[in-house]
Amino acid sequence: MRLGLALKLLWRDWRSGELTLLLVSLLIAVGTVTTITLFVDRLQQALLAESATFLAADRVISSNQPIDPQILTEARTRGLGQAETLTFLSMVFSSERAQFAAVKAVSDTYPLRGELITSDKPFEFGEIVTSGPPPGEIWLESRLLPSLDVQPGDVLDLGVTSFVVSKALIKEPDKGGGFSNTGPRVLMNLSDVPLTEVVQPGSRLTYRYLFSGEKQALDDFQAWVEPRLDENVRMFGVKEGTEGIGNALDRAERFLLLGGLLGVILAGVAIALSAQRYSLRHYDHVAILKTLGATPNGIDGLFITIFVLLGLIGTLLGSGVGYMAQIGISAALQPFIPVELPAPGMRPIWLGLTTGFVCLLSFALPPLLKLRSTEPIRVIRRDIEVGTGSNRLAQLIGVVGTIGLMWWYSEDIELTLMIFSGGLVALLVLSGLAFILLKSGRVLGMQAGSVWRLALAGMQRRGQENTMQILVFGLAIMLLLILFLVRTSLIENWQAQIPVDAPNHFAMNISPEDVEPIRNLLVENDIRSQPLYPMISGRISKVNGEVAKEREERETQTDDQEERGPRATSNRNLTYAGEIPDDNLITSGEWWAADYVGPALVSLEKDLAARNGLKVGDALEFTIQGRQLDAKVSSIRSVAWDNMQPNFYIIFSPAALEDYPSTFMTSFHLERENKIFLNGLLREFPTMTVIEVDAIIEQIKTIITQVTMAIELVLGLILISGALVLLASIQASMDERFKQHAILRTLGAGRRLVMGSLVIEFCVLGLFAGVLAAIGAEITVYGLEEQIFELDYEPNPMLWLLGPVIGAVLIGLIGTIATLKVVRTPPTIVLRGLN
Amino acid sequence: MIKTIDLGKTVQTSEGQLTILKGIDIEIKKSEAVAIVGASGSGKTTLLSLIAGLDTPSQGQIFLADQELTAMDEEQRAKARGEFVGFVFQAFQLLDSLTAIENVMLPAELKGDPEAESKAKELLVRVGLDHRMHHYPRQLSGGEQQRVALARAFASSAKILFADEPTGNLDTKTGATIIDLLFELNREFGTTLVLVTHDLRLAERCDRSILIDSGVITAEPIQAKASALIES
Ligand SMILES: Nc1ncnc2c1ncn2[C@@H]1O[C@H](COP(=O)(O)OP(=O)(O)OP(=O)(O)O)[C@@H](O)[C@H]1O
Ligand SMILES: [Mg+2]
Repeated sequence: MRLGLALKLLWRDWRSGELTLLLVSLLIAVGTVTTITLFVDRLQQALLAESATFLAADRVISSNQPIDPQILTEARTRGLGQAETLTFLSMVFSSERAQFAAVKAVSDTYPLRGELITSDKPFEFGEIVTSGPPPGEIWLESRLLPSLDVQPGDVLDLGVTSFVVSKALIKEPDKGGGFSNTGPRVLMNLSDVPLTEVVQPGSRLTYRYLFSGEKQALDDFQAWVEPRLDENVRMFGVKEGTEGIGNALDRAERFLLLGGLLGVILAGVAIALSAQRYSLRHYDHVAILKTLGATPNGIDGLFITIFVLLGLIGTLLGSGVGYMAQIGISAALQPFIPVELPAPGMRPIWLGLTTGFVCLLSFALPPLLKLRSTEPIRVIRRDIEVGTGSNRLAQLIGVVGTIGLMWWYSEDIELTLMIFSGGLVALLVLSGLAFILLKSGRVLGMQAGSVWRLALAGMQRRGQENTMQILVFGLAIMLLLILFLVRTSLIENWQAQIPVDAPNHFAMNISPEDVEPIRNLLVENDIRSQPLYPMISGRISKVNGEVAKEREERETQTDDQEERGPRATSNRNLTYAGEIPDDNLITSGEWWAADYVGPALVSLEKDLAARNGLKVGDALEFTIQGRQLDAKVSSIRSVAWDNMQPNFYIIFSPAALEDYPSTFMTSFHLERENKIFLNGLLREFPTMTVIEVDAIIEQIKTIITQVTMAIELVLGLILISGALVLLASIQASMDERFKQHAILRTLGAGRRLVMGSLVIEFCVLGLFAGVLAAIGAEITVYGLEEQIFELDYEPNPMLWLLGPVIGAVLIGLIGTIATLKVVRTPPTIVLRGLN
Repeated sequence: MIKTIDLGKTVQTSEGQLTILKGIDIEIKKSEAVAIVGASGSGKTTLLSLIAGLDTPSQGQIFLADQELTAMDEEQRAKARGEFVGFVFQAFQLLDSLTAIENVMLPAELKGDPEAESKAKELLVRVGLDHRMHHYPRQLSGGEQQRVALARAFASSAKILFADEPTGNLDTKTGATIIDLLFELNREFGTTLVLVTHDLRLAERCDRSILIDSGVITAEPIQAKASALIES
């Protein structure tokens, strides 16, 4: 019976147009959330899949011994894709020459992700292939061909077996697998390894077991595997596999999440506004229903039923709309997205549905519950305030609903609480400011011409509603600004992280007598390089007279296990330098003069210092090559570990280590087409080692380009949904304006006056909102960048111009378009409520 | 049917406490038609809303159909209103998202009466609006809207009908038609009628009048000449 009545009322409301706005904003809200989350989900999956190619797999177990075959059997029964690689160092011989090479033997299923590029000519792009060499053949990295003086088709010896060099290897997906790859690559088939007899007990081998499959299946498998692995063997995915990529992906994911989250809030605001309007328009209805005998509980039941029905219809339709929109957007953007988008999962749909429902209930329930306390006397006295009895409960529902939704969405309570409390503080400050701004508007209005006076009086009259509206506009603009700012600094940060000419090769084991010739060679060939740093192995043995090991045990007991950092007592590469290296910043103490002479000083990296409780002024004793050396800590430094340059935990003052025999290292930048330079370099200085990180840098760059694109796309989507919310909220405020201006026009006000005052009103509202948005955005961005994205915050002066201008123009424009109808509609129609 | 004891209403305003009604004792019998008259601002509407249970008094007791209204909470008062009371307001108070017939059906629908529609049709025919049943209030004239409101008031088969200046928004001729209709229906259904008005001629058509001045009853003139006058 109740349901029947609710259905009837719902239908009647719909037919009379009362529900249109609410339903439309519900549709928009659910639609955008679904669209955004679906899109983000697909993009994220695509990014992960794409970056998985950097591992040639989704998950990898890396070990220097074969792992328990049972693990592989288990993977097979779980239906996971599998491949194996084995890397080792070995000499390869051509008829004339020999070369040390990093050999990688791969199974037939390798690579599971990504592809190999081979060619018949070295250094040239050839064809893409999806598996390694067949048995009996090997592929050589381009620069090996000239250095061994062989051509494709020639024969090489590896161990006791001969192989045909069938191709030049141009690119392998998992080249950037860390710094262990010294030497040029030789790729061979895994089944050929026993024939070579190079793998002997005691050889340094790296076994990599590659797995691919669905994320859930992989997670389950990983959970099963991990307890069965040796202590020093780990299973990892692409994020843990490569520091730079993991970092970029993590931040990008957080950004996408943030974008989605803001989308959810915007949707909530849109729904709240229309629900508020719906309730406002229904206070009178409820009063009448009550005079006709409807009880408060009856009213609750009735309207909750109505809203649940509405929610069902709105969310189902909305997620349908979102699904379609997302297909359209993906199709339209396909040419611009460098990766294939996988099919969307079901989670975004659920998310959209739930968002719609929770938003509706938590934002619409508060005004709805107020309906119950509408006094029936309202039928006689319109000015009776609507009771505030259930206000607190209602607000609680709103708060819990919002937090719950954000939490569920982000699965990150820290981010959620931060955005929520940031938003709350901003809201409180903003509402105070909005009120003051409105007040000062009146003073201004007094001296102004009639259009202005009318406009400002209009704002003044609806002070509270306008404060609300400024807040909503401000909130929407603020969210957009936040997203824009975070995006900009993320991208800037990424680009700064890897400058175009960042070093992409490390040279190590350089003997002192080679230092000068190498430096000259680099200069002659116009190769940008870092200084050559001496490298001496040593460790801290005493701290302020106390044996470092004992001190460490004492310290770690009190220390938080979580806070793992570098240990002070391990053997480390020590160096000395006059100038502070690039991107190092002194956090305490002072760097010594470049020509410093005197007792030995050291500069420590800040995590090392913090973990071990070392500070400026501490006296350290080092054990270096069996000898003791005392040094005083003179400064603590931060180090940009991801800048691809030689970085050191511990740096001594110049001359301090000069007595110790040392090797030197440096890093330099080499373009892909100049790689052949390495051949000459290594031939001339055979004892040095060159570590090539150009592949990994290429990968990081690729990933960054892709996530940048993803971020821009999501920003665009959110911008659109923000505009929709603004439109909805202006629409919601139109009733009142319609009436007011119809009355003005019956009093003889011309179109120009009415129009002018409306335009001014919206522009001023937008301006205020923009100012507030700038304040709120600055505060929130500060928190976000410092806490969540781990970027260095910088103030954004542009914001203070951008916010107000965007506000005034955007709101003014949308408002004007919405008000065109006001002046076009004949006053009688408005006054009779016939529109 | 209606009885008040020492009824009073004070409200808090920005200029301090304001006493609107004080020491009201009235008694209205079943099927009686009573007019509440008085100058503008004297407290007529306030009194009506109190005895109809739309508002709560600051002091005193109200009995409606042998039940003490002042001892009930809003939930119970709402039930009582649905059961015993019908209203006609100066401003019609129709739901503008419902058509004429839906407005009339509403009280019965709220009670879950399955015959809501047929009853509503009958009443609309009775007030002469059978051809406007599916029109919205805004498509009707003021007089027509008030006729819909009348039909709605009687649709709940109420025992008591409260009318607050039902002709206040209408011209004299239309007003007269509405009043005729109101008294006709009232007699037909045997309802008790409480009518607020400042029109003395209208008051004379009732069985008696209660005169209010500045919140107190000044006189309760007995008028026995009732029905004869109405007929002529
Ligand atoms: N909630 C309230 N707050 C302040 N004053 C009130 C309130 N309710 C009623 N009043 C005042 O009480 C007085 C009586 O009001 P009421 O509406 O009952 O008068 P009335 O006799 O119906 O007048 P009219 O014939 O003009 O309708 C008026 O002066 C009114 O302003
Ligand atoms: Mg009155």
